[in-house]
Amino acid sequence: MSNSNADIRIEGLRKSFGGRDVLRDVNLEVPAGSIFGFLGLNGAGKTTLIRILLGLLQPDAGRCLMAGIDPLTQPIEARRRIGYMAENQVMYGWMRVNELIEWVALFYPAWDATLAEDLLQRMRLDPSQKVGALSKGQTSRLALLLALSHRPKLVILDDPTLGLDPIARRDLLRDMIGHLQDQGITVFFSSHLLYEIEPICDRVAILHEGRILRCAPVDELRENIKRLVFQSSQYIDTSKLPGLLDIQSYDGQLAVTVEDVDATRRALGPIHPLREVDLNLDEIFEAYVTGRREAPHAG
Amino acid sequence: MFIRLESTSAVPIYRQIVDQIGYQIANGTLRAGDRLPSVRELARRLPVNQNTVLKAYVLLEEDGLINRKQGDGTFVADAPPAAKKADRHKQVSGILGQAAAQAVHFEISRPELHQLLDEEIEKLTNGGRSP
Repeated sequence: MSNSNADIRIEGLRKSFGGRDVLRDVNLEVPAGSIFGFLGLNGAGKTTLIRILLGLLQPDAGRCLMAGIDPLTQPIEARRRIGYMAENQVMYGWMRVNELIEWVALFYPAWDATLAEDLLQRMRLDPSQKVGALSKGQTSRLALLLALSHRPKLVILDDPTLGLDPIARRDLLRDMIGHLQDQGITVFFSSHLLYEIEPICDRVAILHEGRILRCAPVDELRENIKRLVFQSSQYIDTSKLPGLLDIQSYDGQLAVTVEDVDATRRALGPIHPLREVDLNLDEIFEAYVTGRREAPHAG
Repeated sequence: MFIRLESTSAVPIYRQIVDQIGYQIANGTLRAGDRLPSVRELARRLPVNQNTVLKAYVLLEEDGLINRKQGDGTFVADAPPAAKKADRHKQVSGILGQAAAQAVHFEISRPELHQLLDEEIEKLTNGGRSP
């Protein structure tokens, strides 16, 4: 499924470090103007992929296009189109907020000082304050301001809320919705906090052990992936269930989590489960990442 | 209008918004002609993706509960629609179907099941201010 309207296009990306495969054939498309959630455990390869997207790291194979630009061959052009914000970004603590803004502005010809001024007010930041004296929440809002003021076409956020308290996290998400979605900026939002990704994102991709296990709209994941509970006495042949993600057995019941509940219903024919359980995104993620695909021992 | 999202719930977010606005219209907290926040405003407040709020508003409009007037705003509809009764039946019967399956499994008799349902309805109508 090729989408000409994709702001991030990743094709066959591979990367290994010292013989360890970190990314194995990653393919992704992020539609322009969408908020894209990139889920993975720590160590799944998220940061490696982001470093490749930014042109900071060369892949072993494959390529990516960021708003039509290959960051490897045209790194400066790419950086002008991309806003980047990461947890624990390096900030010059001895500068004042306005000095840091003016300094970063020097790197971007398209820097919009009026927008920066506007964001400064809307994000409730004091321009005369020392950067080193800002709270974590204020620091992250400043990082967002710095990532947005050159009017990028797309923004990469690498676990932007890591280490923030719940209030600061909510404020940051609010500012993201307010400023990014309003302007149709494409957002690539990496996180390991699923409940945080879900309300914000249009689509999510699940990265695990260097592979994309699933990429779909959030609602589609919710509608398709279900847990079906059977009586053990119903003798379900789990090896015949399509898209099986997880099997659990306890107290005379068998719970299977499946990728496509409609296909499973068809495969089951006249057999009806005791219950069909809706799952939240955490449970869906868990089923993909740590699911048991083999039937438990009979008993 | 107050909406509280349950972030760990298995109910999709657009559905939570639809249900809570629907509930507030049903119990009179929101009245005909009341203005709802714009998509942008509610998205920012919650905070959720604007498309999620939009999806909820579209569904509420399809159910005839609200009217979205271009450039004017979103308002609670004048009269609750009667035509959508079949849809509401469908939604409830889905849940009842699961309850019935469990009842059969636990060998609960029909009169017992009816009584349990009556008790639940009783709780709702007497409890009044339950969240």
